Amino acid sequence: MAQSLVKEFTKGLWAEIPPFRLVLGLCPTLAVTKTVENGIGMGVATTFVLVFSNILISMLRNIIPSKVRIACYIVIIATFVTIVEFMMQAYTYELFLKLGIFIPLIVVNCIVLGRAEAFAGKNTVIPSAADGLGMGIGFTMSLAALGAVRELIGAGTLTVWGGSPIFEIGHGYIPFQFMVEAPGAFIGLGLMLCLMNLIGQK
Amino acid sequence: MREMLSMIVVLTVLTAVSGGLLAAVEQTTRPQIEEQVLKFQKEPAIKEIFPDATNNPIQERADVTADGTTLQVFPAVLSNGKKAVAFEAKGTGFGGPVGLMVGINIDTDEIIAVRVTTHSETPGIGSRAKEDLSFVSQFAGKSMSANFSLKKGGGDIDAMSGATVTSGGVSQAAIAAQALYKKLKPEIVKQIAN
Amino acid sequence: MTNTKLIVSHAPFWHSGDSLFQQNLNFLIALVPAALFGIFKFGAPALGVLTLATSSAMLWEVIMAIISKQKIAIADMESAVIGLLFGMMVPATMPWWVVITGTFVAVVLGKYVFGGIGGNPFHPTLVGIAILMMSWPAFLDFDTAYVSYQFDFTALAPLAALKSQGTSVLSSFSTYDLLMGNEVGGIGSTFGLGIIIGGIYLILRGYTRWEIVVAFIAGILITATLFYVLHPDTYAPPLFHLFSGYTLLGAFFLAVENSSSPVHRIPMLVYGFLGGFMIILVRNIGIYPDGTILSILLINLINPLIDVIKPKALGKGVSHA
Repeated sequence: MAQSLVKEFTKGLWAEIPPFRLVLGLCPTLAVTKTVENGIGMGVATTFVLVFSNILISMLRNIIPSKVRIACYIVIIATFVTIVEFMMQAYTYELFLKLGIFIPLIVVNCIVLGRAEAFAGKNTVIPSAADGLGMGIGFTMSLAALGAVRELIGAGTLTVWGGSPIFEIGHGYIPFQFMVEAPGAFIGLGLMLCLMNLIGQK
Repeated sequence: MREMLSMIVVLTVLTAVSGGLLAAVEQTTRPQIEEQVLKFQKEPAIKEIFPDATNNPIQERADVTADGTTLQVFPAVLSNGKKAVAFEAKGTGFGGPVGLMVGINIDTDEIIAVRVTTHSETPGIGSRAKEDLSFVSQFAGKSMSANFSLKKGGGDIDAMSGATVTSGGVSQAAIAAQALYKKLKPEIVKQIAN
Repeated sequence: MTNTKLIVSHAPFWHSGDSLFQQNLNFLIALVPAALFGIFKFGAPALGVLTLATSSAMLWEVIMAIISKQKIAIADMESAVIGLLFGMMVPATMPWWVVITGTFVAVVLGKYVFGGIGGNPFHPTLVGIAILMMSWPAFLDFDTAYVSYQFDFTALAPLAALKSQGTSVLSSFSTYDLLMGNEVGGIGSTFGLGIIIGGIYLILRGYTRWEIVVAFIAGILITATLFYVLHPDTYAPPLFHLFSGYTLLGAFFLAVENSSSPVHRIPMLVYGFLGGFMIILVRNIGIYPDGTILSILLINLINPLIDVIKPKALGKGVSHA
């Protein structure tokens, strides 16, 4: 039991890491990863939604009639997303301003609905929670990693929390601005996918 | 039949519970959110509208009421001694409500400047209403009795190309501001006199 | 011989005897006059940039071939051509790290991620230059690049000056000066005559198709003439457009790249004409001073679409009218 729990948790961290392995949830991955801070904020918000919607859906899985399950899942997910939105507005308003429209869009993020449909709807509460947490952390890591690559190359800084960078390449560095522009997100994601496959092959 | 019934019951209960939960969360976070909006949206907007205010409009904010309508107003004293007031009105844009902070010269009823505050418009399209000042600067200097509809609707305001719905939302907010101002002006003047 | 097998394979069934190496060698030979002129005019730094661009492009090719476990194919000189063209399009004062980043983008993102030789939908060099322009426009600004140089001609990039100051600057650029390379610009893109000679050499040897080049130049001349005839005060004359900026390099060397240009005659004419047309639109109406890079990337993009205009295959001519 404990062993399979660990397995459910860790598969989200590497073997099925959402944006790179499952290639799900690309909209926020591409849109908000200008800085590490944005990536982490988005990742944490998604993790929260994933864990709680997974728990609730697996609790209700025997009650929800299969014909309207998608509607029920969406209602549950949308509830948690709206709670996250209120919370971010109330306590981390600056981050809310940066992520803006992408917070409500977590509702239609494929990862959340995908995990609900593929895992939480068929498993008990505790494995579902582990699955949601693992997937969420994997998603956060991926966003943070892509954000780090883009921010480091494109702006020469690393901003983890609170708006001021924790690391700055010296003044001589002239940022490769392309990476923080929209096409840089696609190329950055492509190169990271390529790297993941390269490592995975061995 | 049983299945049908269970579908209806489950969905109804689920949405009802979710609605109740959200209402509760909204209630508890509202004061905090209002404070944040004041700090991050209204304050910068007011500073841009009244760059030369000699008082602190944020601290002197007050609620005025007439005929059951309550409005939060920010009175300002400009450097030339003129009195002005700012308040927020809402219109409906593409992604939801668009807040518009309107600064008005009390004596002449002329708009000093307007700024978009809270919005959830599409980044890069509707959000230009806030970032690109050339759209909102059209309102500056206009009288409060002017026609704030878009040109398409016979008014004086040029819509932003590609963002007609957002422009319409801003224009709606300006028209709402007109109505509020007309209704509440005596109260506002009274409030400022204190 | 009881088990003789007849092997059926796809066309083409004959081979001209040419190899990629010969084709690319001829490209390099054709580029020599313009490149030599650039070295002569801008001095040792120009030589440095050209050699660095060429060698770093080849180095990236080796590295990528090893990583992607492909056969190391620098001997076909494809990456040398990409690198040399890249070097010829940038100013001589470009810092070494910008050159290396540019060739990295050109070879890796422009060519290798699409699968190597023949797979690239865009001209790799143009991908490199375009991404550099988005990131470090300052290093591609020819006006500031040559401030420490002493020239005996107007040291203003003709197209940028036209954009910022209008047609009043046209008197300082004579067509002869532009053709003979008396202008500032990329190392190898200023000497119009050398580029034309190299380009005609390639056409005569059959390595580039005259249809694209002629249609491209016709597109520029016709569009520019239309603008010029309608408003001679606001738009530059057609020959100015033809001989300034990257135009000639684009017409003779960039638009004709094998894997990103059409293979049939009518598509080639359409492709070339649209390229020239777009350049003039960008220059006269758009915000960029030189639209060559943008417009060639755009026609590269529509290449698969227009290449479906092809002759009907023999023996299939059944029409249902």
